[in-house]
Amino acid sequence: MKKTNPLRPYLIRLGLILVLSAIFVGIFNEAVFLLQKDQHDRAPQTIELVIPAGTAERVAAGEDDPAIPAEMVFVMGDTLLVRNEDTTSHQLGPVWVPAGATASLAMGEPAKLAYSCSFSTNRYLNLDIRQPTTLNTRLTALLLATPTMTALIFIYSLLVFPVGGKQPRQEAKAASPKEGEA
Amino acid sequence: MKTRFGFLGVGIVVGIALMLVGWQIVQRSYRYQGSLIDPPLAAPDFALNDQSGSSFRLSEQRGKIVLIFFGYTNCPDVCPLTMANYRQIKSELGVQADQVEFVLITIDPERDTPERLQGYVSSFDPRFIGLSGSLEEMQKVWESFGVYRAKVETGSASGYTMDHSARMYLIDPSGNWRLTYPYGFENEKIVADLQHMLREAN
Repeated sequence: MKKTNPLRPYLIRLGLILVLSAIFVGIFNEAVFLLQKDQHDRAPQTIELVIPAGTAERVAAGEDDPAIPAEMVFVMGDTLLVRNEDTTSHQLGPVWVPAGATASLAMGEPAKLAYSCSFSTNRYLNLDIRQPTTLNTRLTALLLATPTMTALIFIYSLLVFPVGGKQPRQEAKAASPKEGEA
Repeated sequence: MKTRFGFLGVGIVVGIALMLVGWQIVQRSYRYQGSLIDPPLAAPDFALNDQSGSSFRLSEQRGKIVLIFFGYTNCPDVCPLTMANYRQIKSELGVQADQVEFVLITIDPERDTPERLQGYVSSFDPRFIGLSGSLEEMQKVWESFGVYRAKVETGSASGYTMDHSARMYLIDPSGNWRLTYPYGFENEKIVADLQHMLREAN
């Protein structure tokens, strides 16, 4: 007689629940992502700014540089690259650029920072570094959520539909003497 | 038996080769964490007096990394914190700190005499360097390094404080402006940049 592994029905159920959980979490994740995503949910990139010649003179005369917003939003891993074509050094937040040079800074951890800025009349620049929701983030969420959901549904299913739950009743039926046999 | 030793030998050689390739990849992929000036730009040379009255010329420091900060000894907050950061960076570098000069250049030469600088920098570390000079000499250095400084009268006994830019400059072993760090930049990242630059230089 072929001996069956007693764990087999549990493993089959666990496998099925794992697949279903992954599908459910995946669909749920993507739906939330599509509803909530904004322009900053993107891969890191290089953001280039040019400080044109004569900027220092214009700032001294009270004119703002229209190309530089008072607040700049980055995502983690972005590189801010500043090319200074002016004849004096400039400071754009954390990036200091000597005259005629190019300087860059990789944006690290998410943070909201306020820095001084030499070519803005209000002299301040706010930097907002955000954690983007990328494919990697979503895959990480899938990998974290799927096992948890699988475990919960598996335990719940064992309580509601025990493995081999019908068998004991059949066995009990078979074991109990039929009417009229006594 | 011979074949087995042969395979073992080949395995060791291949393993070492892979480790070297991996190390090279890690080295090449290092990304400086400060604000990187690229291509590097020759830092303007200057000669000032250190706290002991000896001349300190930037171009004579080739082969070493020079960290420069502009501050003053009466500074209540930014300067002592930056000097404390210097001390921590030096401590984390260990023996490698011998290849780095930690320099404070005064923005207040009226009050920062060599004697005063001597007491100030040595209270943080006797190896730190405090530089000053005549107002004319200093003005050239401030201008060439894009330093902002402004006197603020306080009416207190100390007379005035100074508003000033607080970035740290890193001059590489070839005498180039290579990196700058805004005030408050994490020491660990500065140490990592220094260690990488020293590895590159050696």
